[in-house]
Amino acid sequence: MPVILEVNNLTKTYPNGVNAVKGISFSVNKGEVFGILGPNGAGKTTTLEMIEGLRPITSGTVLLDGIKTEEQPYLIKQRVGIQLQSSAFFQNLKLTELLEMFADLYGAKINSAELLADVGLQDKAGFLVKNLSGGQKQRFSIATTLVNKPVMIFLDEPTTGLDPQARRNLWELIAQIKSRGTTVILTTHYMEEASFLCGRVAIMDDGKIVALDTPDQLIKQLLAKGFVPHTEVPPATLEDVFIDLTGKTLRD
Amino acid sequence: MNQNTRSFLALTKASLKMYYRNKGAIIFTLLIPVALLSIFGFLSSGRGPRIQVGLTNKATTEMAQQFVAALKSVEAFNIRETTETDAATELGKGDIDLQVIIPENFGKNEDGKPMASTIQTRFNKGKPQSGHMANMVIVQIVTGLDKKVTNAPTVLDVKSEGVAVNNLGYFDFILPGILSMSIMQLGIFGVAFSFVAMKASGALRRIQATPVHPVYFVFAQATVRLLVTLSTAVILLIFGTYFFGFHMVGSYVNFFLVCIFGILIFLGIGFAIAGWARDETQVAPVANLIQLPLLLLSGIFFSREGFPTWLKTITDYSPLTYVSHALRKIANEGAGLTELPMDMIGMGVWVILVYIIAVKLFRWE
Repeated sequence: MPVILEVNNLTKTYPNGVNAVKGISFSVNKGEVFGILGPNGAGKTTTLEMIEGLRPITSGTVLLDGIKTEEQPYLIKQRVGIQLQSSAFFQNLKLTELLEMFADLYGAKINSAELLADVGLQDKAGFLVKNLSGGQKQRFSIATTLVNKPVMIFLDEPTTGLDPQARRNLWELIAQIKSRGTTVILTTHYMEEASFLCGRVAIMDDGKIVALDTPDQLIKQLLAKGFVPHTEVPPATLEDVFIDLTGKTLRD
Repeated sequence: MNQNTRSFLALTKASLKMYYRNKGAIIFTLLIPVALLSIFGFLSSGRGPRIQVGLTNKATTEMAQQFVAALKSVEAFNIRETTETDAATELGKGDIDLQVIIPENFGKNEDGKPMASTIQTRFNKGKPQSGHMANMVIVQIVTGLDKKVTNAPTVLDVKSEGVAVNNLGYFDFILPGILSMSIMQLGIFGVAFSFVAMKASGALRRIQATPVHPVYFVFAQATVRLLVTLSTAVILLIFGTYFFGFHMVGSYVNFFLVCIFGILIFLGIGFAIAGWARDETQVAPVANLIQLPLLLLSGIFFSREGFPTWLKTITDYSPLTYVSHALRKIANEGAGLTELPMDMIGMGVWVILVYIIAVKLFRWE
């Protein structure tokens, strides 16, 4: 598969001396869902923001769809869709109005009803963001990243704080976006989410990538090292029980 | 359409919707100034019975007759023709509000050229509003006649005499003051709180994730505040004129130009605060610290004449003093912008100063 994003020796040192990202390199293939995992403070968000052109790069290079982020951050932003970790929108604007505003900012033409239907919010066109549930907010936030028909979207912890139903619903949405050929990079704290969605994952810790492979390969490598789980893993999880009892139907 | 223009228009449209859907902002920007204006309007209650005018016509020219006819046609005037001495006595007793004397040479020609001539008016110190209002009407009539006479320099003029200090109606004084106050509050509070809220919530950051430079959003916000302020000015003027007999002596264009200067200054202060602050809690104390002294010390509600010299000297340089002074000079005395060099320079310096400070202090996150 052709490479769409190439990150080389990317480094971020903040003015206060904090070395948040320490020379990481990786590449993302066209059409894949690529996950970045890691504990809080590992440098995931800083990495994304440098790739997106939202934060100046201290050193290293980012080549996205043939464009160097450092040289043309505005051209990069024109081509990608960005969901920030805390997605906030202007108050007192309806969903359609916000989508149309975003489309105008990209010089794009959209059918807002269709776009809202894509994320399952066709009934909420006249709603304000503050009247949406957590899961609906995230789905709307993803809709705003799609207005410019991006080659790649960035989702920073899209499912944090959602209930299991809303999380699974969002997974389906992300899988759907992938199936249309859009490349997705996401960060998450949920391992089952990474296993379900991501073709490959990079695990970051302390500003460095400590492992990068498919979830299956990473597990095989661990087992090959002679890893034994602390407790016997039951064939089902508590979350499976929860979903079995409460169903997959969205509650918002 | 250019993409930057399109982005700017989209952000302006969004800002405008956010503004008019915010009930608090509407109350703050429209109802409060109108309510204040009404309170002052009723307190000063400039609408009384007809103004009693004692007229002495010493001239026999056609021009003088035209002038008298014009005066009589003014509905608010009750004209009585009498002698100069009788009128002076009646004015002293308070039986008439205004004495008008048309000199002998009014409208006469000398060597084929119109003679310069001056109509004299004197009015009752006890009823300065009526006297002032009457005076302005007379100025208009004379100006009209003057234009008829010749295209040459002004030959007819009104010389007003009798009241030294307070020759203005209080309402005429207070309206430009309340408007200046609105301009300041819209600029500082109107922008600082909402902008910093968008910054703190991350809504501004979301705009930065699009290909638009966020400075376009600042322009869009400023444009909306400018429109809102000008609408407030229009509403206050209509309201004041219709209900409380406010008189605009000068040019509306100049008046609105000064309003625009004012909003530029105070928007700059608002953006400087919003750009510097991290969240709303930092805005309130700073904004109050700036606007409260300005409000009290810039001669908005009362004249600064009673201040000690040192305080008067300091407050001479207040941006709100410049704005309110210029608006008053235009509205009450018909001053042109070139007749207000100190105010114009003062406002210009403030505009430059606040934008330098705003740019220095600004942080996007």
